[in-house]
Amino acid sequence: MRANYLFPFGTRYFGIALILVHIPIKLLWDHYYPNGYDQSVSSSGTNGFLFSAPHLFFIGTTLMVLVGLFLVAFSRERVEDEQITQLRLDSLRWAIYLNYAILLFSLIFTSGGESHHILMLNIWLPLLFFILRFQWVIYRLNRSAKSNDSDTGL
Amino acid sequence: MKNSLHVERAIKKMTQADLADQVSVSRQTINSIESNKYIPSTLLALKIARVFGKSVEQIFQLEKKDL
Repeated sequence: MRANYLFPFGTRYFGIALILVHIPIKLLWDHYYPNGYDQSVSSSGTNGFLFSAPHLFFIGTTLMVLVGLFLVAFSRERVEDEQITQLRLDSLRWAIYLNYAILLFSLIFTSGGESHHILMLNIWLPLLFFILRFQWVIYRLNRSAKSNDSDTGL
Repeated sequence: MKNSLHVERAIKKMTQADLADQVSVSRQTINSIESNKYIPSTLLALKIARVFGKSVEQIFQLEKKDL
């Protein structure tokens, strides 16, 4: 049996929890510090704000989202068989296609100053698209199996 | 590629879940194979053939479009 380097099934719930916990924290921070990390980066353009409070907060929240998305995306399914592996690979390929299409589009139609936003988008978009696409094909697979059950009675 | 999985199961009075358990895949995968939406790997095809005591060619056949 080949190793598939996936997290255990239950870790997806921890991942979802991390993403959910990050939302109120980010909202509260944005409420109290409306000119958070974004402005410090775009206005300074230097390392003057490295490891400042907004920067550390940015690292923390980004890590929470990233780790959360990683755990959701790469945790095993209940039955991790070869069809699931193929669907996973297929979804990953579409996620890469979409990511590079958006990256290329952004690079052509934006100027240098906005590259920070492109980077931010690239951090989470491929993982999010992968998760959505993968869960959608699994949902369709289950629905198809159920409809065949009602057709054949087996 | 077509297959006679549904017929073989019916002969053995076996449900999709039974077969799925015996070859360690999900029931959805057996369903996808039966409805020709998924082509199994050589390993899985051999496992399925072993369950029915037949050769792989007796259960899975190439179609003209595969040639």
